[in-house]
Amino acid sequence: MRHLNVVMLAGSVLLAGVIAGCGSAPPVNKEASTSAIRAAEESGASNVPSASLYLQLAKEELENAKVLAAKDDKEQAESMLSRAQADGELAVALSHGDADKKEAIQAIERVRQLREDNKLPQKGSIL
Amino acid sequence: MKPIISLIIVGCVGLLVGCASVPPPELINARQAYQHASAGQAAQLVPAELHKAQEALAIAEKSFQDDPQSFRTRDLAYVADRKAKMAEAFATTAAGNAATAKANKDYQSTQTEIMKNTKQDLATQTEISKNTKEDLAASERSSAVKTEQLASEQRARLDAENRADVAQADLAKLAAVKDEARGLVITLSGSVLFASNKSELLSSARDRLNQVADALMETKERKLTVEGHTDSQGSSSYNQALSQRRADVVRSYIISRGYTSDLIEAHGIGKDRPIADNASAEGRANNRRVEIIVDHAPNYQQSMNK
Repeated sequence: MRHLNVVMLAGSVLLAGVIAGCGSAPPVNKEASTSAIRAAEESGASNVPSASLYLQLAKEELENAKVLAAKDDKEQAESMLSRAQADGELAVALSHGDADKKEAIQAIERVRQLREDNKLPQKGSIL
Repeated sequence: MKPIISLIIVGCVGLLVGCASVPPPELINARQAYQHASAGQAAQLVPAELHKAQEALAIAEKSFQDDPQSFRTRDLAYVADRKAKMAEAFATTAAGNAATAKANKDYQSTQTEIMKNTKQDLATQTEISKNTKEDLAASERSSAVKTEQLASEQRARLDAENRADVAQADLAKLAAVKDEARGLVITLSGSVLFASNKSELLSSARDRLNQVADALMETKERKLTVEGHTDSQGSSSYNQALSQRRADVVRSYIISRGYTSDLIEAHGIGKDRPIADNASAEGRANNRRVEIIVDHAPNYQQSMNK
């Protein structure tokens, strides 16, 4: 009987360990997607029409991933996070592209104005 | 009943097979996005980014083959679509950066061009200014020369006028001098110069004529007219010939004293222009005379005009 009690205790400890192990399973890694979203916000994506759409999508997908993670659907949550990361990174790229294009237009205009002020013939643009 | 059930079962199986072969919209979008990106400037400007998009699309296609309807296939295709769009965005950035670099280079070259043009303009202006200064200096020199010429001419004119005044004053001491419209008339008495009915100069006349000629030499550029006059005694022809000979003698004498021969004329007037009454001896003595008319005329003025 005493031997039985020991076995039961060991089994209980094992079961508790298994339960505890399941409860402390590593959560989904949201770092890459949240970093991408933060970078997009810092690059001013909210003010760039083409980029703001993807930033918004990234945020929604991050929320969806959290809901899926909360439902213990880790695999689909992580897959959803890959969407959020991709949209965040695309928002950053579009934001930078817009800024660089504006800078190029300003640089070209500066040259055009300089040549006009000094009565020089204009040159062609590559944009 | 059995054939109908079998038919339904076959239909359901066929439907399931058909659904499995239709790619999800995410994959269709990803294919189109990659095609669009690879046809644009991304292939040339950001080939590495385009390659990432290609790899992402390949993974999505593989997943589609393995598990066509899974959420994983759709998400992988979604990511592949974004990778293709990112490649295009990076291409836009690269093109913008290239355009900015070229514009900055153009700006510098334009500044260099402007500086070069400015230097050329400055050199041209300097040259023009130099030429203007040289022209001005030449003009000033020319003006100074003209001023000096005018002053010289004025001095010459004043000198000539002074000499004429002196000559006239000298002549007034030697003979009767009268300023008339035809000129300055110097009247020498015939009895002083010639014996009666003669046309040879008396020796005593030579001193007087020398003094007159010396005074005339002060204005030797003027034209002279020597006129011989007689009284009314004797025939006109005789008086005419006598007066001509006497005028010629006086003319020759003045020329011998250095006066230019071309400027002296001699005329015999005879008895035609008496200045006194021939009825009296005194009147006839006054009519027997030689007049030397110094022209007012403008030989002197012409020389001034030159």
